[in-house]
Amino acid sequence: MREGLRMAVTLLIIGGVCGGLLSAVNSYTEPIIEERQQREFLEALEGFFPEVEEAEEKEINDQKYFIAYDAAGNEIGVVAQARASGYGDEPIRYDLAVDMEGEIVGIRVVSHTETPGIGDFIAEEEWQEQQIVGLTFDDEIAVDVDVDAISGATVTLRGIVSSIREEVDTIGMEFLGLEVEVVEIDPSAVDDGTYTGVGTGFADDIEVEVTVSGGEITDIEIISHDDTPDYFDQAAAEMPGRIIEAQSHDVEMVSGATASAEGIVEAVADALN
Amino acid sequence: MRTIAQEFSKGIFVENPVFRLLLGLCPVLAVSITAFNAFGMGIAATFVLLGSNIVVSAIKDFVPSRVRIPAFILIIATFVTIVDLTLNAFLPDLHEALGIFIPLIVVNCMIMGRAEAFARKNTIGRSIIDALGVGIGFTIALTVLGIVREILGAGTLFGFNIVGTAFEPMGLLASPPGAFIALGVLVALFNVMFKRLGIE
Amino acid sequence: MDLLPIIFVAILANNIVLMQFLGICPYMGVTQRVETSLGMGMGVIFVMTLAAVISWLIFYGILEPLNLHYLRTISFILVISSLVQLVEIVLKKTNPTLFRALGIYLPLMTTNCAILGVAILNIDQGHNIIQTIVYAIAAAIGFTIAVVVMAGIRERMELVSMSSFLRGASVTLVTAGILSLAFMGFAGMVTL
Repeated sequence: MREGLRMAVTLLIIGGVCGGLLSAVNSYTEPIIEERQQREFLEALEGFFPEVEEAEEKEINDQKYFIAYDAAGNEIGVVAQARASGYGDEPIRYDLAVDMEGEIVGIRVVSHTETPGIGDFIAEEEWQEQQIVGLTFDDEIAVDVDVDAISGATVTLRGIVSSIREEVDTIGMEFLGLEVEVVEIDPSAVDDGTYTGVGTGFADDIEVEVTVSGGEITDIEIISHDDTPDYFDQAAAEMPGRIIEAQSHDVEMVSGATASAEGIVEAVADALN
Repeated sequence: MRTIAQEFSKGIFVENPVFRLLLGLCPVLAVSITAFNAFGMGIAATFVLLGSNIVVSAIKDFVPSRVRIPAFILIIATFVTIVDLTLNAFLPDLHEALGIFIPLIVVNCMIMGRAEAFARKNTIGRSIIDALGVGIGFTIALTVLGIVREILGAGTLFGFNIVGTAFEPMGLLASPPGAFIALGVLVALFNVMFKRLGIE
Repeated sequence: MDLLPIIFVAILANNIVLMQFLGICPYMGVTQRVETSLGMGMGVIFVMTLAAVISWLIFYGILEPLNLHYLRTISFILVISSLVQLVEIVLKKTNPTLFRALGIYLPLMTTNCAILGVAILNIDQGHNIIQTIVYAIAAAIGFTIAVVVMAGIRERMELVSMSSFLRGASVTLVTAGILSLAFMGFAGMVTL
C-alpha cells in the first residue's frame, strides 16, 4: 500500500512539474507564434490587396473567408481559403482573392500534390495571371469558355476551375451582395400575342420580338443588337430554335458566343414578363 | 568502465543509432530530403535526448522502478513539446518542414532506449556525455543521408546549387522510395567501412 | 470528404509505412516471419483504432475547449501507453487465446510511432469521429499489408546468398524502397 502511494505521488509530482514547465514555455511562445501567424497572414493578404490594414474572419460551410479592410475601414475585398480536388492524393489548397466588384484579383496555390510537369501548372504565376486573374462574377468561369483547356491535365484543370467558380459565387452572393440573375422563360401562362423584350448582350442591349400562340412560343425575331456580327450571328442562328424547342430558359448556350446567347435568352424572358 | 572519450565516441561510431543500431529510423527517412531539414531534426532530437538523459539520471533514485516507464514518457514528452513550441516560435519554416515528426520524437526508440539502458544507471555527468555522443551520432547520420539525397535528388546542398546545370537531378532520391534505397546503400557502405577498420 | 477515398489512400496510395515512414521500427524488427507479422498487424489494427478514437475524444473533449493544445503530444502518448497496459490486462483476464496471439506485440505498441502518428494526423487533417475511425482502421490495414508482404519477401531472402555487408538491415531497406516504388504507382488513382 505504501509503495502504491509512493508510486502515485512520484508520478503526480513529475506530471505536475512537467505540466507547469510546459505551461510556462507555452505562455512565452504563444504570443510569438500568434503574432507571426498574424503577420504572415497579413503579408499574404497584402499580396492581393496592397492597402489592406485589417482582416475579419468569417466561416461559411466549414470554410474560411477573410474580409479585407483598408486603413479607413472600408471593405476592399474578400479572400477565400479554398480547396479543390485535383488529381493528387491531397486536395489543392489555394487562396482566392476577389475585389468588391466581383473580379478575381489574385490566386495563390498554398499546397498541392498534382503530378509534376503535368498538373503543377496551377502553381505557376503565368497561368494564374493569364487564365484566372481578371475573371469576374458575371463571367462563365468554365474550361473551354473563358479558361483554355490543357490537354493531358483535364482532371486538375476542371477541378480547380469548378472550385474557383463556386468560390466566386459564394463570395459574390455572401459578401458582395451580387446576385445571379434569374432568367425564366415560361410561356404557358402568357396570352397569345407578340411581345418585345430587351436583354444585355456582349456589347449592348439586344431587342427581340417573341410571338406566343396557345401558351407556346412560336417565333423569336431579333430586332436589334450591337454585338460583333461574327459571334452574334452564330448565337442568333441557334438560340431562337433552341428556345422554341425547349419552351424554357434551360437551353444550351452557343459556345464561343456565350454572352450573345445569354443576352438573347434574357431578352426573350423579358418579353414574356 | 569506459573512459569519457570512449563513452562519447561510441554513439558516433560503433553504436551509431542509425547506421549500426537502426533505431529511430522514421524521422531519418522522412526528413532527409534536404540536408538542412535533416540537420535540424538531428539537433532537435539531440536536445530532447540531452534533456531527458539529464533529468532521468537526476531523479533515478526517487522514482520507484515499477512506474519508471510512465515517468520517462512524461519527461521525454515534456522536452519534445518544448522543442515543438520553440521551433514554431522561432524557426517556423523548419517547424513546417519537420511537421508531424517533431511530436513523434517522443516515440523515438533511441531516446527511450538511452533513458532505460543508460541514464537511469549512471551519473548525470556520464549521462550528458552519453546523450551528446548518441545525439551527435544521430545528427551526423541524418545529415549525411540528407546531403546525399539533396545533392543527387535536387542538385543542391543546403539550398545552394552546387552541381551546375549539366546535372539532371534524380527525382527518385527525393521521393519516399529513394529514402529507403539511399539509407540501405549507406548502411551497407558503413558495414564495409567498419569491417575494414576492424570494428564489428 | 468521402470515406472511400480515405480508405484507398490510407491503405495504398499513401501507405503509412512505405510512403509516410511511420512505424519503421517494427517494420524492420518484426518482419522475419509472415506469421508473426500478421499477429503484429492484427494488434496494430486493434490498438490503433482504439488509440485514435480515445485521442480524438480527449482532444476535442478536453484540450480544445480548455485551449490546452500544447498538451497534445504528452496526453496522447500517455493515453496510448495506458491503453496498451489496459488492453494487456483486460485481454489476459477475458480472452486468453487472443492474449496469447497478440500479447507479445502489445508492449511494442507504445513505441510504434504509427500509433501516435495516426492519432496526430487525425487531428491535423481535421477528421471527424467517423473519418477518424475509418482512417485508423485503413491505416492499420495498410501497415499490416506492408509488414506481411515484407515478411514474405524476407523469408525467401534468407535462402539467398549475398554479401555479408548487405545481409540484414541494408537489403531490407533497399527492398522496402522497391516496395515503396510499387506503392507509389497507386498515387493519382483517386481524387479526394
